[in-house]
Amino acid sequence: MAARSVLRYLKLRPVVFQSHRCASLSGFDIQHKTPTIKKVMPIPKAHYGGRHTVTMLPGAGIGPELMGYVKEVFKYAGVPVDFEDVEIDPNADDNVDLDYAITSIRRNGVALKGNIETRSTEAGVLSRNVALRNELDLYVNVLHCVSYPGVNSRQKNIDIVIVRQNTEGEYSMLEHESVYGVIESMKVITNFNSERVARYAFEYAKRNGRKKVTTVHKANIMKLSDGLFLEISRRVAKDYPDIIHNDMIIDNCCMQLVSNPHQFDVVLTTNLYGAIVSNVVCGLLGGAGLLAGKNYGDHYTIFEPGTRNTGTSIAGKNIANPIAMLNAAVDMLRHLGHKHHAIVIQNAINKTINQGVHTRDLGGTATSRDVVDNILKHIKIATA
Amino acid sequence: MALLARNICKALSQATQKNTVRALHVGTIRQQESSVEQEGKLKCTLIPGDGVGPELVVAVQNVFKAADVPVEFEPYFLSEVNPTLSAPLDQVSNSIARNRVCLKGILATPDHSMTGELQTLNMKLRKSLDLYSNVVHVKSLPGIRSRHQNVDCVIIREQTEGEYSALEHESVKGVVECLKIVTATKSQRIAKFAFDYAVKNNRKKVTCVHKANIMKLGDGLFLKSCQEIAKMYPRVTFETMIVDNCTMQMVSNPHQFDVMVMPNLYGNIVDNLASGLVGGAGVVAGASYSAECVVFEPGARHTYSEAVGKNVANPTAMLLCAVKLLNHANLKRYGEQIREALNRVLNDGKVLTKDLGGQSSTTEFTAAVINSLR
Amino acid sequence: MAAQWIRTAISSKITGARLYSSKVHKCTLIPGDGIGPEISIAVQKIFDAAKVPIEWESVDVTPVKGPDGRFGIPQAAIDSVNRNKIGLKGPLMTPIGKGHRSLNLALRKEFNLYANVRPCLSLEGYKTLYDNVDVVTIRENTEGEYSGIEHEIVEGVVQSIKLITEEASRRVAEFAFQYATDNNRKKVTAVHKANIMRMSDGLFLRCCREAAQKFPSVKFEERYLDTVCLNMVQDPSQYDVLVMPNLYGDILSDMCAGLVGGLGLTPSGNIGLNGALFESVHGTAPDIAGQDKANPTALLLSAVMMLKYMGLSSHAKIIEQSAYDTIKEAKYLTGDLGGTAKCSEYTGEICKKIAAQVK
Repeated sequence: MAARSVLRYLKLRPVVFQSHRCASLSGFDIQHKTPTIKKVMPIPKAHYGGRHTVTMLPGAGIGPELMGYVKEVFKYAGVPVDFEDVEIDPNADDNVDLDYAITSIRRNGVALKGNIETRSTEAGVLSRNVALRNELDLYVNVLHCVSYPGVNSRQKNIDIVIVRQNTEGEYSMLEHESVYGVIESMKVITNFNSERVARYAFEYAKRNGRKKVTTVHKANIMKLSDGLFLEISRRVAKDYPDIIHNDMIIDNCCMQLVSNPHQFDVVLTTNLYGAIVSNVVCGLLGGAGLLAGKNYGDHYTIFEPGTRNTGTSIAGKNIANPIAMLNAAVDMLRHLGHKHHAIVIQNAINKTINQGVHTRDLGGTATSRDVVDNILKHIKIATA
Repeated sequence: MALLARNICKALSQATQKNTVRALHVGTIRQQESSVEQEGKLKCTLIPGDGVGPELVVAVQNVFKAADVPVEFEPYFLSEVNPTLSAPLDQVSNSIARNRVCLKGILATPDHSMTGELQTLNMKLRKSLDLYSNVVHVKSLPGIRSRHQNVDCVIIREQTEGEYSALEHESVKGVVECLKIVTATKSQRIAKFAFDYAVKNNRKKVTCVHKANIMKLGDGLFLKSCQEIAKMYPRVTFETMIVDNCTMQMVSNPHQFDVMVMPNLYGNIVDNLASGLVGGAGVVAGASYSAECVVFEPGARHTYSEAVGKNVANPTAMLLCAVKLLNHANLKRYGEQIREALNRVLNDGKVLTKDLGGQSSTTEFTAAVINSLR
Repeated sequence: MAAQWIRTAISSKITGARLYSSKVHKCTLIPGDGIGPEISIAVQKIFDAAKVPIEWESVDVTPVKGPDGRFGIPQAAIDSVNRNKIGLKGPLMTPIGKGHRSLNLALRKEFNLYANVRPCLSLEGYKTLYDNVDVVTIRENTEGEYSGIEHEIVEGVVQSIKLITEEASRRVAEFAFQYATDNNRKKVTAVHKANIMRMSDGLFLRCCREAAQKFPSVKFEERYLDTVCLNMVQDPSQYDVLVMPNLYGDILSDMCAGLVGGLGLTPSGNIGLNGALFESVHGTAPDIAGQDKANPTALLLSAVMMLKYMGLSSHAKIIEQSAYDTIKEAKYLTGDLGGTAKCSEYTGEICKKIAAQVK
């Protein structure tokens, strides 16, 4: 939804380019990777009688158990959301399940997702996570990183929003071996995608009362590709005079993040740098188990835990941290407009964390079950 | 208390209804602890309707009281045959939009309105709330003797366009034209609804009922829309059937049907036909959905006005509507409690209303349901 | 091919039939496709046995290209029906593909068949869930929803027009009452949806009311379409003659057929200004064509209806009764009724019964 409104905004103002260099959409792009030009049949979303149907992709590792907790909490809080479970077989070499999952998301419009594993190492089998994002054209990934006072971390009071380009850049999946022993991997930056992700970042900053947007890049080395990204973000910044815009080189950015994270507000990055930055920030806050990410496209939205890890090693041991997935579910509720339930569950989560009911990854001793029970308890108190 | 937790749902802050907030995903301030509004009861609009409606509604209210269901009714009298007593339509539709759920009896529709109005009140209500989809779940109930056993099908009917568009005119004297409108948007919407319903309720087959062999454009468009949507549901079987054949199959072999989707008029016919198969208008519940709200009403729309005040009407359909309402509103425990009580009474077969071959009155039946609540 | 030789066989029989009666009625026969020819032969055999004074005039309605370049019914067939004013028709295959108009529709238009009559009667011996069905559905056949006026206003919005005229409504309403009087029926029910379609169905209803006043001896009642559906499947015995517009009739008549065991048992007659056409409405069943397995009952009962229409009631009664008895005895039933008999055996049994009475 959000992304759509941004796009509408974007469409209203056709932007004239002064210099293109190499990055206008070439024939190559159209042939190999054109998530931007997909025509979508405008069909209504699954929203009937105030209830939403949402696709649930439990994924691998700890995914299924976390989804179980989400369902439990939803049921307990009386959330009017129904899930359509879609399992994806990680061992399959074909993409039948994945196609079905994509179809399901197209129908429902919204999905809650664990990390999907792609066990097959055949070159022809894509990473399903990436394929899913590309296929649905989820061009922006938003990760809102906020410190929890109750979590013991090195840096306190962090509040950073990471806006990451999600469909192109280094993750274009265009690799080949030109001659034996020489592999080329292509990084694709397009005008169109850079523009809309930048537009999204600034629009987000404006609507949420944020002060500053920082573009993270490596344009000193990759002058054309990252250069284009940087240039476009600068140009978009001109439309938002109230918001401070600066840029930072990725290596410097990482250093600044660990030493003085409070200087950051909204961070705008390309795909790969986004992966780096978000993991760094999550580390600062207390690990992978807390934050939730949102993937937006013009038509579809996927919510998932912020750091994309399957956590296969701890699956089934009742020690995984359910908070990230629950936060993702709360984000989803807000997106669907079920604000009331979102607040109830959010408050219960916050209280649980701040009271020190922590799983092992946060240095606590509680099991996943303990955390969920605690959350349920708070929901009960809040609604009794 | 835990139960109360479940019924806060509909007390949703109404601000969220307005989509303005949703345009950009703003609610990101996690640490803010806003207070939860206390709402002990689920509010529900109640329209008793004409005919025996009010009597049935009393039955439902009594059962709710006995089961201690946390539902608060907001009654409105709405009627076309009794315009002086009727509440204004916009007031009623506002109430439904606010509460999101409504329990409704059947409104009588006179053949001729006083004002020459072509639209009926029912149509207007549906239009104002965009209640586009009517779902009637026809299921054989235990203990009710009927010709067919184990019927279980869902009839989904588009109810905002088609033959019931109320566009009629007399071109020349003695020649009336009645327009049937079919649009791709609404056809796709209802088709999608049907498939989503099938997926959600784990049903295997959707049958599109049409008459595209004769009405090649109109029903053809409906059929085409269904076929398009069906492509998105590779795991649900899709079938088509011509409406006259469908009625024949329905009376001879109703078990072949699962979910059925059809335009307005055919839906009306098949709804009633199927209701007849499992025991009549008194035992089948239905619901009308829009994106935001649901109106629960009996599946076969008959006011049964000849029985007014005689205390003979069967409250089963209305009680089933109430059960569906509770299930929809996350009050499943109460819903199942009432359903089980109802099933017990029907299974015993000692206290049945006349339409099911018994001798009991409405109040006796209601009392029996209340007594078997556990 | 099979049909071809059967047809030649038919024409040779005709001369035989003529000998038995002084006043011979001529009647057009359209054997149809698939199982059509064989069940037509069965009907002819039975008629011979009953010594019905009818001379069959078999015609072929395979579409031919007309002078205007469109495919249509051959002129010879049209002439035949126009001359005889009466016809019996087996099932026709509607050619798939564009350009062809459905032949059934074409015939209906050609002969101005405004009323479709379908009596549905529970047959003793063939058990269905409903054993007390005795209703006649009379359906307006020329206008209403099937008027074929449709257009796409803008992309994705189709408008189709349901046309109700006073003339056609009155015609069919009066026919219904006339039929009820002629066949000793007690009650006529007008099926409508005038609470929703207040003008169009309202007009139809008004015509029915007016017709009712002309026939005070027949009881008249009005019922909503949905109510009829509901009650019909619960207790069909409360209805007698039903009269209704096109679409409703289409749906209800098939439903009633379903109540008594399917289209293989229900006759159908189309009454028009220029004559009457009686037909079996089931499909052509190409999978069992030529195997002597088909059930000729629907066509036979249609032919019986025809006889009644022509005033040959005594013959009609004998044939009807023999057919009912045969089904009741359940010794010679075809496959679709759960028996194992061949079409010819079934036919033979009926002929035997008739012969016993005709003597």
